[in-house]
Amino acid sequence: MFASTGYRQLKVKVSLNLGAGENEYGSTGQIPLASCDRLAFLRRSRRESATDLLFLIPTLAILAGFLLVPLVYGVVLSLHDTDGFAITTFVGLDHYAHAILGDAVFHRSLLNTLVFTAAAVVLQTGLGLLLAVLLADVSRGKAFFTFVFFAPFVLAPVAVGAVWKFLYAPYFGIAATVGSALGFDTLTIAPLADADVALWAVMAAFLWRFVGFTMVVYMAAMQGLRREYYEYAVLEGAGRFHQFRRITWPLLWPQTFVLVLLTTLGTLRIFDMVWVMTAGGPSHATETVATDIYVTAFRFLQVGYAQAMAMILLVVILLLTIVEYRILDRRAEAVTE
Amino acid sequence: MIASRRFRWSTVVLSVLAGIWLYPVVWTLTNAVRSSADIYRAPWDVPWPPAIGNIGEAWSRGQLGVAMANSAFVTAMTVVVVLALAIPGAYALTRLRPPARAVLFLLVLAPLIIPTEVLIVPTFSIFRALGLINSLPGLSLTDAVASVSFSTVILAGYFRTIPQDVVDAARVDGAGRLDVLLRIVIPLARPGILAVALLVAVFTWNDFGGALVLLQKPEVFTAQLALTRFSTLYATDQGLTFAGMAIVILPPLLLFLVLQRSFIQGLTAGVVRR
Repeated sequence: MFASTGYRQLKVKVSLNLGAGENEYGSTGQIPLASCDRLAFLRRSRRESATDLLFLIPTLAILAGFLLVPLVYGVVLSLHDTDGFAITTFVGLDHYAHAILGDAVFHRSLLNTLVFTAAAVVLQTGLGLLLAVLLADVSRGKAFFTFVFFAPFVLAPVAVGAVWKFLYAPYFGIAATVGSALGFDTLTIAPLADADVALWAVMAAFLWRFVGFTMVVYMAAMQGLRREYYEYAVLEGAGRFHQFRRITWPLLWPQTFVLVLLTTLGTLRIFDMVWVMTAGGPSHATETVATDIYVTAFRFLQVGYAQAMAMILLVVILLLTIVEYRILDRRAEAVTE
Repeated sequence: MIASRRFRWSTVVLSVLAGIWLYPVVWTLTNAVRSSADIYRAPWDVPWPPAIGNIGEAWSRGQLGVAMANSAFVTAMTVVVVLALAIPGAYALTRLRPPARAVLFLLVLAPLIIPTEVLIVPTFSIFRALGLINSLPGLSLTDAVASVSFSTVILAGYFRTIPQDVVDAARVDGAGRLDVLLRIVIPLARPGILAVALLVAVFTWNDFGGALVLLQKPEVFTAQLALTRFSTLYATDQGLTFAGMAIVILPPLLLFLVLQRSFIQGLTAGVVRR
């Protein structure tokens, strides 16, 4: 269908563009052909690229329709007052100013989100790495352990949230069950109702669900590490700890890099588990920016204002991503040097 | 021999942790067949005889049958849409060179950095204007947008492992680009495509935020929404609620149990390059 003429010439171009290193059977006899007519070759390559782009157009179109259009409309919304979901008066940056300067709930939700994200990055990466290292050390039951730790990742966040909500419930939750089995009086302990610990109680459920993902990524990467490094280290008399610090940790840096970025991006938007477990309560102790946006837009119908908060969240996401990328990338260069 | 029988601390630590990790799931599944009274009175007893009635009652009262069918429809449509977009897209990406590769970064980063939550308000407005509220295909499209990027990137990784010689040979024999994609690339990358389809299916089945905003009539509720509503309505009947949770948890868990390897491979392929 595409490029129905001139396969032979096209093929010449294809193998040239792959570069000598990538094409094993070489390009002897083909280079002169192409270099006779450099300009024709360039023209053809541009047409080729254009056809390739054709394959990407559906994806780009759908991203434009569902990402770009809402984004632009979101900016417009955030600059207006609204009646229901209809735009009424232009208010400029008033919503932004109010969110940043005068909204204590938004401040709380932003702080909660940042604290939660920082803790998630450190704990999820740390625990996942710990599990991967421990798993590398066992010979039997590896598949079983992998399944147990990773399975929560495929469970619905709503179901996980509901299960953990019950785990934290007084009278029949884990504290009541395990506590009374051990002979303690812990019937009425209710972490999700306690403003001081609620966020960390949600964190535990979050870690339970996601640590397996980090673990699996590290496990896959560790399979690629060369045995010789460790054998040599043992010969040199390095203990377990030094092997980890001098070999495993630096060599896994590319994965740590990606995992930190992914966890940051995935956690700054957190909504579902928090919504099911606490709906932001008690008294905004677990309010995240996403739950705040949802309540403001769909319960209080302050649509323009809610979107201004969403745009601020987007800016925070962008800034944090750039900062992390800079820091981690510098470290990655230092490791490879 | 000696080494393999040696007492290993790592096994002990892992076993303890595995116990902690298993507890919530085992607790949910056993409570699903316990009467509400037993959940308080005898939490450590084996639930025998099982209160099977919970399951049937949760299924009918929570209208979980309809909800699961809705979820299955949205999931199937999303997987088809994502694959239809991502397979040709990934094929194009494997062929693009540096200037055009900027498209790749656009594709990867945009939906990751601009999550659904940030755009949910304008998306709701636009969907309302288009009459797409309470529309399962509408929800499916937003789910597809959330998945299409990582799918394209993972698939491109798989497509790159196909030897260029095979493709070149086919082209010399007169195969067009579409022929190469349909007859060579897709059959050879079948494991990768299966892995991506699995990932998209699980993520879509589990989606909550999008469904919460875009679906408002109980008839079109997905399993996640039905479960949320159900567990608020029957919060005082724990046996019933646990049965509902067990029903919604099981499909992805079983799918994962059978296809664990393929699933993990697909997931790590995006992050770990060898």
